[in-house]
Amino acid sequence: MKSILAALALTTALVAPGLAMARPVTLTTTLNNYGGDGAYLVLYVTDAQGAYAGTLWMAGGKSKYYEHLSDWYRAAGGSLAQIDGITGASVGAGRSLEITLDLADALFDAGYTLHADAAVEDMRDSPNDIAVPLTTAGVGQAVPGRRYIASFRFDM
Amino acid sequence: MKTLLIAVATLTVLPTAWALAGEDCHVGRGTWQPREAAVQAATELGWQVEKIKADDGCWEVKGRDAQGRRIKAKLDPASLQVVTLRHGERQEVRERDRGNATTVAPSSPPSNPLFQNGTPPVVRIN
Repeated sequence: MKSILAALALTTALVAPGLAMARPVTLTTTLNNYGGDGAYLVLYVTDAQGAYAGTLWMAGGKSKYYEHLSDWYRAAGGSLAQIDGITGASVGAGRSLEITLDLADALFDAGYTLHADAAVEDMRDSPNDIAVPLTTAGVGQAVPGRRYIASFRFDM
Repeated sequence: MKTLLIAVATLTVLPTAWALAGEDCHVGRGTWQPREAAVQAATELGWQVEKIKADDGCWEVKGRDAQGRRIKAKLDPASLQVVTLRHGERQEVRERDRGNATTVAPSSPPSNPLFQNGTPPVVRIN
Protein backbone atom coordinates (compact mmCIF):
# COMPACT_ATOMS: atom_id res chain seq x y z
CA MET A 1 0.00 0.00 0.00
CA LYS A 2 2.83 2.32 0.93
CA SER A 3 4.55 1.69 -2.38
CA ILE A 4 1.31 2.33 -4.26
CA LEU A 5 1.01 5.68 -2.52
CA ALA A 6 4.61 6.47 -3.32
CA ALA A 7 4.11 5.52 -6.96
CA LEU A 8 1.00 7.67 -7.08
CA ALA A 9 2.89 10.60 -5.62
CA LEU A 10 5.69 10.17 -8.11
CA THR A 11 3.26 9.96 -10.99
CA THR A 12 1.65 13.14 -9.77
CA ALA A 13 5.06 14.75 -9.63
CA LEU A 14 5.58 13.86 -13.27
CA VAL A 15 2.18 14.94 -14.49
CA ALA A 16 1.80 18.08 -12.42
CA PRO A 17 5.22 19.24 -11.32
CA GLY A 18 3.85 22.55 -10.17
CA LEU A 19 1.77 20.76 -7.57
CA ALA A 20 4.37 18.22 -6.50
CA MET A 21 6.00 18.58 -3.11
CA ALA A 22 9.74 18.75 -3.07
CA ARG A 23 12.40 19.88 -0.73
CA PRO A 24 16.00 20.97 -1.21
CA VAL A 25 18.37 18.24 -0.12
CA THR A 26 22.15 18.52 0.18
CA LEU A 27 24.14 15.35 -0.45
CA THR A 28 27.72 15.46 0.85
CA THR A 29 30.17 12.76 -0.21
CA THR A 30 33.66 12.94 1.32
CA LEU A 31 36.44 10.83 -0.14
CA ASN A 32 39.33 9.10 1.61
CA ASN A 33 42.93 10.01 0.87
CA TYR A 34 43.33 6.86 -1.18
CA GLY A 35 46.38 8.19 -3.07
CA GLY A 36 45.18 7.97 -6.63
CA ASP A 37 43.65 9.97 -9.45
CA GLY A 38 40.29 11.72 -9.18
CA ALA A 39 37.42 9.35 -8.52
CA TYR A 40 34.44 8.84 -10.76
CA LEU A 41 31.29 8.79 -8.63
CA VAL A 42 27.69 8.25 -9.55
CA LEU A 43 24.77 8.83 -7.19
CA TYR A 44 21.55 7.02 -8.04
CA VAL A 45 18.37 5.78 -6.44
CA THR A 46 16.61 2.42 -6.35
CA ASP A 47 13.07 1.80 -5.19
CA ALA A 48 11.78 -0.55 -2.50
CA GLN A 49 12.03 -3.50 -4.89
CA GLY A 50 15.63 -2.65 -5.75
CA ALA A 51 14.70 -1.41 -9.20
CA TYR A 52 16.61 1.53 -10.64
CA ALA A 53 14.65 4.76 -10.21
CA GLY A 54 17.05 7.36 -11.62
CA THR A 55 20.41 9.06 -11.37
CA LEU A 56 21.10 12.19 -9.32
CA TRP A 57 24.66 13.07 -10.35
CA MET A 58 27.59 11.72 -12.36
CA ALA A 59 31.02 13.00 -11.29
CA GLY A 60 33.36 12.24 -14.16
CA GLY A 61 33.25 13.35 -17.75
CA LYS A 62 34.57 10.51 -19.87
CA SER A 63 31.92 7.99 -20.79
CA LYS A 64 34.48 5.31 -21.56
CA TYR A 65 35.02 4.91 -17.80
CA TYR A 66 31.35 4.61 -16.88
CA GLU A 67 31.31 0.83 -17.19
CA HIS A 68 33.60 0.78 -14.13
CA LEU A 69 30.66 2.14 -12.15
CA SER A 70 29.32 -1.31 -12.65
CA ASP A 71 26.13 -1.47 -10.58
CA TRP A 72 24.91 1.83 -12.00
CA TYR A 73 26.00 0.86 -15.51
CA ARG A 74 24.02 -2.35 -15.32
CA ALA A 75 20.97 -0.69 -13.76
CA ALA A 76 20.88 2.27 -16.14
CA GLY A 77 21.93 0.25 -19.15
CA GLY A 78 24.90 2.59 -19.57
CA SER A 79 22.48 5.15 -21.00
CA LEU A 80 24.00 8.61 -21.36
CA ALA A 81 20.47 10.02 -21.52
CA GLN A 82 20.21 9.16 -17.82
CA ILE A 83 22.94 11.67 -16.97
CA ASP A 84 22.32 14.35 -19.56
CA GLY A 85 22.62 17.69 -17.76
CA ILE A 86 23.73 16.16 -14.45
CA THR A 87 27.39 15.41 -15.15
CA GLY A 88 30.41 17.19 -13.71
CA ALA A 89 34.08 16.78 -12.87
CA SER A 90 35.60 13.82 -11.08
CA VAL A 91 36.43 14.28 -7.39
CA GLY A 92 39.97 14.30 -6.03
CA ALA A 93 41.13 12.16 -3.11
CA GLY A 94 40.31 13.74 0.22
CA ARG A 95 37.79 16.16 -1.27
CA SER A 96 34.06 16.54 -0.73
CA LEU A 97 31.36 16.61 -3.36
CA GLU A 98 28.37 18.66 -2.23
CA ILE A 99 25.21 18.53 -4.31
CA THR A 100 22.06 20.50 -3.55
CA LEU A 101 18.93 19.58 -5.47
CA ASP A 102 15.16 19.49 -5.13
CA LEU A 103 14.12 15.94 -4.36
CA ALA A 104 10.56 14.67 -4.42
CA ASP A 105 9.07 14.26 -0.95
CA ALA A 106 7.70 10.93 -2.06
CA LEU A 107 11.20 9.46 -2.08
CA PHE A 108 11.51 9.66 1.68
CA ASP A 109 10.33 6.92 4.02
CA ALA A 110 9.05 4.91 1.08
CA GLY A 111 11.76 2.27 0.73
CA TYR A 112 14.01 4.18 -1.63
CA THR A 113 17.79 3.79 -1.30
CA LEU A 114 20.50 6.15 -2.45
CA HIS A 115 23.60 4.41 -3.83
CA ALA A 116 27.03 5.62 -4.88
CA ASP A 117 29.38 3.64 -7.13
CA ALA A 118 33.01 4.77 -7.26
CA ALA A 119 35.93 4.02 -9.55
CA VAL A 120 39.52 5.25 -9.75
CA GLU A 121 41.93 4.72 -12.62
CA ASP A 122 44.32 1.80 -12.04
CA MET A 123 42.60 0.94 -8.76
CA ARG A 124 39.81 -1.45 -7.84
CA ASP A 125 36.27 -0.53 -8.76
CA SER A 126 33.87 -0.01 -5.90
CA PRO A 127 30.24 -0.55 -6.84
CA ASN A 128 27.78 0.30 -4.11
CA ASP A 129 30.43 2.09 -2.06
CA ILE A 130 27.51 3.43 -0.08
CA ALA A 131 23.86 2.45 0.12
CA VAL A 132 21.77 4.74 2.32
CA PRO A 133 18.02 4.38 2.89
CA LEU A 134 16.21 7.65 2.18
CA THR A 135 14.46 8.14 5.49
CA THR A 136 13.76 11.28 7.47
CA ALA A 137 15.44 9.58 10.42
CA GLY A 138 18.64 9.38 8.40
CA VAL A 139 18.90 13.13 7.85
CA GLY A 140 22.22 14.49 9.06
CA GLN A 141 23.61 11.05 9.86
CA ALA A 142 27.08 10.41 8.43
CA VAL A 143 27.43 6.94 6.94
CA PRO A 144 30.85 5.39 6.22
CA GLY A 145 31.65 4.10 2.74
CA ARG A 146 33.31 0.84 1.79
CA ARG A 147 36.43 1.88 -0.16
CA TYR A 148 36.91 5.37 -1.60
CA ILE A 149 34.12 7.17 0.23
CA ALA A 150 35.03 8.15 3.78
CA SER A 151 31.52 9.32 4.61
CA PHE A 152 28.20 10.31 3.12
CA ARG A 153 25.35 12.33 4.58
CA PHE A 154 22.25 14.09 3.40
CA ASP A 155 20.75 17.20 4.96
CA MET A 156 17.45 18.99 4.47
CA MET B 1 49.85 41.59 -49.00
CA LYS B 2 47.71 38.50 -49.60
CA THR B 3 50.34 36.32 -47.94
CA LEU B 4 50.42 38.64 -44.95
CA LEU B 5 46.65 38.46 -44.57
CA ILE B 6 46.73 34.65 -44.72
CA ALA B 7 49.49 34.57 -42.10
CA VAL B 8 47.54 36.88 -39.79
CA ALA B 9 44.37 34.83 -40.26
CA THR B 10 46.26 31.62 -39.51
CA LEU B 11 47.81 33.05 -36.36
CA THR B 12 44.36 34.21 -35.23
CA VAL B 13 42.76 30.81 -35.73
CA LEU B 14 45.56 28.57 -34.44
CA PRO B 15 45.31 29.40 -30.71
CA THR B 16 41.61 28.62 -30.83
CA ALA B 17 42.30 25.29 -32.48
CA TRP B 18 44.91 24.46 -29.85
CA ALA B 19 42.57 25.46 -27.06
CA LEU B 20 39.87 23.21 -28.49
CA ALA B 21 42.30 20.32 -28.78
CA GLY B 22 42.29 19.89 -25.00
CA GLU B 23 44.11 16.89 -23.59
CA ASP B 24 43.28 14.46 -26.35
CA CYS B 25 45.49 13.68 -29.31
CA HIS B 26 44.08 13.45 -32.79
CA VAL B 27 46.53 11.50 -34.88
CA GLY B 28 45.84 8.88 -37.50
CA ARG B 29 46.64 5.32 -36.49
CA GLY B 30 49.16 4.99 -39.30
CA THR B 31 51.34 7.76 -37.91
CA TRP B 32 51.72 6.40 -34.39
CA GLN B 33 55.26 5.82 -33.18
CA PRO B 34 55.71 2.47 -31.41
CA ARG B 35 55.56 2.07 -27.65
CA GLU B 36 59.34 1.60 -27.49
CA ALA B 37 59.87 4.99 -29.16
CA ALA B 38 57.54 6.63 -26.64
CA VAL B 39 59.44 5.04 -23.76
CA GLN B 40 62.70 6.22 -25.32
CA ALA B 41 61.36 9.79 -25.66
CA ALA B 42 60.25 9.77 -22.03
CA THR B 43 63.59 8.41 -20.89
CA GLU B 44 65.39 11.16 -22.79
CA LEU B 45 63.35 13.67 -20.78
CA GLY B 46 64.85 12.17 -17.64
CA TRP B 47 61.73 10.26 -16.68
CA GLN B 48 61.59 6.82 -15.16
CA VAL B 49 58.68 5.13 -16.92
CA GLU B 50 56.58 2.86 -14.73
CA LYS B 51 53.60 2.47 -17.02
CA ILE B 52 52.71 3.44 -20.56
CA LYS B 53 49.45 2.98 -22.41
CA ALA B 54 47.36 4.47 -25.18
CA ASP B 55 44.70 6.80 -23.77
CA ASP B 56 42.52 9.45 -25.43
CA GLY B 57 44.52 9.03 -28.61
CA CYS B 58 47.85 9.79 -26.87
CA TRP B 59 50.60 7.78 -25.27
CA GLU B 60 50.04 8.19 -21.54
CA VAL B 61 53.11 7.82 -19.37
CA LYS B 62 53.15 7.35 -15.63
CA GLY B 63 56.34 7.34 -13.61
CA ARG B 64 58.77 9.73 -11.97
CA ASP B 65 60.75 12.70 -13.22
CA ALA B 66 64.45 13.35 -12.71
CA GLN B 67 63.69 14.83 -9.28
CA GLY B 68 61.80 11.72 -8.24
CA ARG B 69 58.40 13.40 -8.33
CA ARG B 70 55.49 11.34 -9.53
CA ILE B 71 54.33 12.38 -13.00
CA LYS B 72 51.56 11.64 -15.43
CA ALA B 73 52.06 12.85 -18.99
CA LYS B 74 50.51 12.52 -22.39
CA LEU B 75 52.68 12.38 -25.49
CA ASP B 76 51.55 13.10 -29.02
CA PRO B 77 51.85 9.63 -30.58
CA ALA B 78 53.27 10.95 -33.86
CA SER B 79 55.71 13.65 -32.74
CA LEU B 80 56.21 12.32 -29.18
CA GLN B 81 55.97 15.90 -27.95
CA VAL B 82 54.57 16.40 -24.45
CA VAL B 83 50.88 17.34 -24.61
CA THR B 84 50.20 17.46 -20.86
CA LEU B 85 52.37 16.95 -17.80
CA ARG B 86 51.20 16.79 -14.24
CA HIS B 87 53.26 16.35 -11.11
CA GLY B 88 52.16 14.53 -7.99
CA GLU B 89 49.01 12.59 -7.30
CA ARG B 90 46.98 15.51 -6.03
CA GLN B 91 47.96 17.68 -8.97
CA GLU B 92 46.70 15.08 -11.39
CA VAL B 93 43.22 16.17 -10.47
CA ARG B 94 41.71 18.30 -13.18
CA GLU B 95 42.00 22.04 -12.83
CA ARG B 96 38.26 22.40 -12.50
CA ASP B 97 38.33 20.10 -9.46
CA ARG B 98 40.49 22.56 -7.59
CA GLY B 99 39.36 25.20 -5.14
CA ASN B 100 35.86 25.68 -3.96
CA ALA B 101 34.24 26.50 -7.26
CA THR B 102 30.51 26.08 -7.33
CA THR B 103 29.07 24.74 -10.54
CA VAL B 104 25.55 24.31 -11.75
CA ALA B 105 24.59 21.56 -14.12
CA PRO B 106 24.62 23.18 -17.55
CA SER B 107 21.13 22.22 -18.57
CA SER B 108 17.95 20.74 -17.19
CA PRO B 109 18.26 17.37 -15.51
CA PRO B 110 16.76 14.35 -17.25
CA SER B 111 13.04 13.89 -16.89
CA ASN B 112 12.79 11.34 -14.12
CA PRO B 113 10.59 11.57 -11.05
CA LEU B 114 13.54 12.22 -8.75
CA PHE B 115 13.90 15.82 -9.84
CA GLN B 116 11.29 18.46 -9.25
CA ASN B 117 10.51 21.41 -11.50
CA GLY B 118 13.49 20.67 -13.76
CA THR B 119 15.78 22.60 -11.43
CA PRO B 120 19.40 21.63 -12.05
CA PRO B 121 21.51 20.59 -9.05
CA VAL B 122 24.01 23.01 -7.58
CA VAL B 123 27.34 21.27 -7.11
CA ARG B 124 30.45 22.22 -5.16
CA ILE B 125 33.70 20.34 -4.71
CA ASN B 126 35.49 21.36 -1.51
